[in-house]
Amino acid sequence: MSTRTTCAEIEPDLIAAATGEAGAAEAERVDAHVAGCPACRDDFARYHAIDATVGALRAMAPAAGDVEAARQRLIERLADLRSRVLGYRVFDSPLGPILIARSEHGVALVEYLGKRGVSGSRLFRLAGVEAHEDATGVDRFGRELMEYFEGRRTHLDWPLDLHAARSDFERAVLQATAAVPYGTVASYRGIAGELGKPSAVRAVAQALRHNPLPIVVPCHRIIGSSGDLVGYAGHRLGLKEHLLGVEGVATRHAGTPKVERRTLYHYEPNPSREYCLPTCGDIARRPIGRLFATREQAEAAGLVPCTSCHPELHPLPS
Amino acid sequence: MVETVFESVVSTHHGEIFRYLRRLAWRATEADDLSQETFLRAYRAWPRLTPDANVRAWLFTIATNVYKNHVRSEKRRQAAHATVRATRTALDLDGPEEEAMAGEIRTLTQAAIRRLPLKQRLAFTMRKLHELDYDAIGASLECSPESARAHVFQALRKLRTTLNGHVQPLAESAR
Repeated sequence: MSTRTTCAEIEPDLIAAATGEAGAAEAERVDAHVAGCPACRDDFARYHAIDATVGALRAMAPAAGDVEAARQRLIERLADLRSRVLGYRVFDSPLGPILIARSEHGVALVEYLGKRGVSGSRLFRLAGVEAHEDATGVDRFGRELMEYFEGRRTHLDWPLDLHAARSDFERAVLQATAAVPYGTVASYRGIAGELGKPSAVRAVAQALRHNPLPIVVPCHRIIGSSGDLVGYAGHRLGLKEHLLGVEGVATRHAGTPKVERRTLYHYEPNPSREYCLPTCGDIARRPIGRLFATREQAEAAGLVPCTSCHPELHPLPS
Repeated sequence: MVETVFESVVSTHHGEIFRYLRRLAWRATEADDLSQETFLRAYRAWPRLTPDANVRAWLFTIATNVYKNHVRSEKRRQAAHATVRATRTALDLDGPEEEAMAGEIRTLTQAAIRRLPLKQRLAFTMRKLHELDYDAIGASLECSPESARAHVFQALRKLRTTLNGHVQPLAESAR
């Protein structure tokens, strides 16, 4: 009798056994104890009764209509949240930290952070937007951007979200700019002309000044029609030069930074779609149409060599 | 792509999380708000969830935190007690006596569960009404699985004391 467990000792096992939480050893101890202890047998029965009632509660469900209505409201609110959430990550680059943010539609923001750090990002000043750090959703873009900086990638084929553009005109400018390929230079005037608004040169420059997607919407490939780089990311023309350099477009400093037109193939709209050497007539002194770092790029744009200067016979030194 | 996966999370788990919060909350509308808050939070945190995570346990953790914040910020306890009294006086329903008895015992048990201290109530609800394991409950309550189990047992002791005289031992009739 002295080896028998006391009521206090058996209590945890008793609760466990009565409510389906006990292992075999515990259950055996409880059986042995309650066989000789009416008080604990009564306790066991009470716990067991509570467990049965709780089992009945477990089976009770709220009205299906309530659950379904709640689910519908949730789906609506999720759709709203989804359209406002941007996931972002900051990547180190040769041009300093770069923040990339994406929405469910595509990349919505590429930003040179400079010394400001993440908290200074314009991401947090966008109205109605909720920003969250995203470990995986923007990885691909960061990786491809690094390949671009290393000269190993000439296409950034990203889905873009242009919702941050402030007007339809800005959106159209960004789209026209996005269509200017790698290693190619166009002018603000040229973009304005493409949009059917040849006099809107300043408006085009303004729109690109607010470009929320630098690099992937390559505003660095758009310059003044005389060859001046004009502006980039505030006053950071150095970044523009760097990017053009990556793409094989040389620049020089003669007072203001300019593209080095003598090293580039030239194109001015003409019916036979011929591109020229910079030495063809006075083409290098006229307003810029398109400039190409390589013949391949000119020909990829659907152009053919000029029949008088023959760039295919006298290619520029690369 | 992230969106599609999250949609399946909603369709798989919304019903159970709603039931969990419905058990904790006093009104259906409250459970509605709290379950929405739970899933909106989950959506925001989803990109940071590791691929091998236990989504169900993770949602219970979020729901538990949402509920705890709710309790803290809204000072609902006062109102809650008033509701318990209302529920108890509204109990005298017609109908076959046994049915009414069983119904009354269930209502009293529910009321007793609702009067448990918060941690015991959460642990008890997760364990006994949703059958989560103690690892998941511990994670939700930021305690060890052992403490989670202790909370559940403490809750059972309290229920037994509260319900004494109401809940007759099942064995009695067999004796």
